[in-house]
Amino acid sequence: MKPLKCLGLLLLGWLLVALGVSSPALAGERVITIAQYADAVSLDPQHTNDNASYSIEKPMLEGLIGFNEKMEQIPQLAEKWDASPDARVYTFYLRKGVKFHDGTPFNAAAVKANFDRVRNPENKLRRYTLYKVISQIDVLDEYTVRFTLSEPFGAMIATFAHPAGGINSPTAVQKYGKDYEKNPVGTGPYKFAEWVPNDHITLVKNPDYWDKANEAKVDKIIIKPVPEEGTRIAMLQKGDAQFINFVPYIQAEAVKADRNLSLASTEAIYTFWVAMNVQKKPFNDLRVRQALNYAIDKDAVIKAVLRGQGKPADSPLAPRVWGYTPVKTYPYDPAKAKALLAEAGYPNGFKAVVRGNNQTDTKDALVAIQGQLKQVGVDLEVLSLPAAALSAERFKPLEENKAEMEFAGWSPSTGDADWGIRPLLTKENWPPTNFTIGFYTNPKVEEAIKAALQTADPAKRKAAYAEAQRVIMDDCPWIFLWVNNLLGGSRANVGGISLQPDAIGFYRSVYYK
Amino acid sequence: MVRFILRRLLYMTPILFGVSVVIFLILHLVPGDPARLVAGLDATQEDVKIIRSSLGLDRPLPVQYISWLGNVLRGDLGRSTRTRRPVTQELRLTFPATVELTLCATAIAVLIGVVAGTTAAVRRNSIFDYSSMVVALLGVCTPSFWLGLMLMLVFAVKFDLFPTTGRGGLENLVLPAVTLGAGAAAIIARVTRSSMLEVLGMDYIRTAHAKGLSERAVVLRHAVKNALIPVITVIGLEFGYLLAGAVVTETVFAYPGVGWLLVEAIGFRDYPVIQGALLLLALQFAVVNLVVDVLYAFADPRISYG
Repeated sequence: MKPLKCLGLLLLGWLLVALGVSSPALAGERVITIAQYADAVSLDPQHTNDNASYSIEKPMLEGLIGFNEKMEQIPQLAEKWDASPDARVYTFYLRKGVKFHDGTPFNAAAVKANFDRVRNPENKLRRYTLYKVISQIDVLDEYTVRFTLSEPFGAMIATFAHPAGGINSPTAVQKYGKDYEKNPVGTGPYKFAEWVPNDHITLVKNPDYWDKANEAKVDKIIIKPVPEEGTRIAMLQKGDAQFINFVPYIQAEAVKADRNLSLASTEAIYTFWVAMNVQKKPFNDLRVRQALNYAIDKDAVIKAVLRGQGKPADSPLAPRVWGYTPVKTYPYDPAKAKALLAEAGYPNGFKAVVRGNNQTDTKDALVAIQGQLKQVGVDLEVLSLPAAALSAERFKPLEENKAEMEFAGWSPSTGDADWGIRPLLTKENWPPTNFTIGFYTNPKVEEAIKAALQTADPAKRKAAYAEAQRVIMDDCPWIFLWVNNLLGGSRANVGGISLQPDAIGFYRSVYYK
Repeated sequence: MVRFILRRLLYMTPILFGVSVVIFLILHLVPGDPARLVAGLDATQEDVKIIRSSLGLDRPLPVQYISWLGNVLRGDLGRSTRTRRPVTQELRLTFPATVELTLCATAIAVLIGVVAGTTAAVRRNSIFDYSSMVVALLGVCTPSFWLGLMLMLVFAVKFDLFPTTGRGGLENLVLPAVTLGAGAAAIIARVTRSSMLEVLGMDYIRTAHAKGLSERAVVLRHAVKNALIPVITVIGLEFGYLLAGAVVTETVFAYPGVGWLLVEAIGFRDYPVIQGALLLLALQFAVVNLVVDVLYAFADPRISYG
């Protein structure tokens, strides 16, 4: 019995010690802990393509142009800018007196160094293609910098506002080399302090921030990766976290009902849809595609799957995307759907496979869609695949691609119509190139997009995208489903923190009430 | 004994080599393109191509395997395709955490399992016997993500006794270790009970009783030690499974261990990390087996490896 007794005593001892010791925090220090669904992959914005990383970069690294929490463009490190009418030359007038966290002055040379780095293919940065259109960068004076593009690109301002456009200290980039992504240095209200992989990342207040009105309001932000949804909720309830990114829909009501918590709901720039392979029977028939749009009661699905946190999509773009035009929705009308199917030669419906990822929300949505299409005689087989396997299937070229119906959601990370339509609905972006996974093409859409890219005039661009949206809505290459809300949760005594419409966390203005 | 251990260590080499081939082949047969996953959903074909070649994935499979193996022999497990951190560094950060958690879980499992199993055997057909075996059955059947969340809600949120997540002091270990150890405790309890019952029915136990030894002495000195061989086998196996099975528990408690690392790596087809982690798990499984064999000799002097 002796060894067992010892062990027992030992465990008891541990327990007592454990109960006595609480986590150390300096007296008076204001700390915010955020439980986020994933750890950062990289903290170099030019080498980042996931929202978890961007959420953590944003409080540290600022762009020439930034977004406010509604994703409207605001001047950040540039005070103003202008574009040539042919959308090829962009000039930025920079803010004066700004310093990076390491003391390096922010100026035109720093901006040039940043974009020269990302557009150089030899650096193999993940955001290379976003900026490779830049062919020349000229430092006109200490605080003026001019970009010349190799071809007209009307969406360039939005591309500078993209989170990948965060400006890094050129000194730090030099100093750390390949390890810069673990030691980011920017100009933002928070500075990088520590990264323990899969454990936490700590940001501390930058006392020398250039914009006193928007400076850091807490001393420290600690971001912890917590993949399990239930765990995040438990952390929030206990107060181990002051904000969680994100709250699953199924928990929305519970968080709302709790007096100590508040739900931060943001209308997203995501649209969700089912792409139909328009190169394949029966989806090559417009009437079939219309029928499937009429056959789905979007409101009912939104209520069931999103717990009401969304609204039907009335365009391929979400309302908060720049260039959005409301077009129309296909009202729920099963009788009309049946008539259209009969007219197209499918009076008894048909069988098809719909594919989606294996997340709970997606599975719920697919089952709901399956049930509703059954009402008009369309027999769906639901195939839920892990993300890796699904993308392997989707990115096969037309000849090998088995796509019939594909459930997906998309948000243009530039917040601009170009990246909300071009990758999804043009021939040059058919797999394996990009995400036109229903192999749609229409000359009218392609022309409108091209026209929009040839100019930097907002009015002309808007008109061209409006035309594209109308044509797409009439062609219905997708079953248009919904625009969702993104849910974050915070303790009731915390404010100024939410999710941006692009699902990137907006942490920089967090404060204690 | 030393020769036995050395020989067994030598045998591990071909086993690990075999494991590495199997891991490599299976990984590359499973659909999913690491370059595409690293590049992100909205990446162009050009991005993907650049990334693929920078990861060396455009080379023929045998070339990739041999270059990987060559590096492994030199102690270099490569770099994560996602985070670009060296795999050895990732494992150095996470493996101790998992070992810590697993040792704690095993300690809890052995403590509960052996005590409950022995008591149940000694008081066969009593209320304690029935109820503990029912609890053991539940323990085996309870999914650990559910148990983990329930423990967290009750002991961390409701009663505020422990932190919800993370790695830190011992207080962070209690809930995940109990969650992880529960299933193993149940199995150990059942095995201990049946092994003890067998031993308690033996002639020498009757003799011990007959010569007037106390019940306590009979059970603890004579019976338990002899009943331990199958229990040690099970503990060894369970320890191995716990290390690998920490996957779910680590995810639930956001505990930065190998299991969580592995799950994420699989999701992104992060080949170097998966290969490194699995190789390490295979190695520790083999080592644990060896330790179990050595322990047999201590538990039963009749077993020797001369």
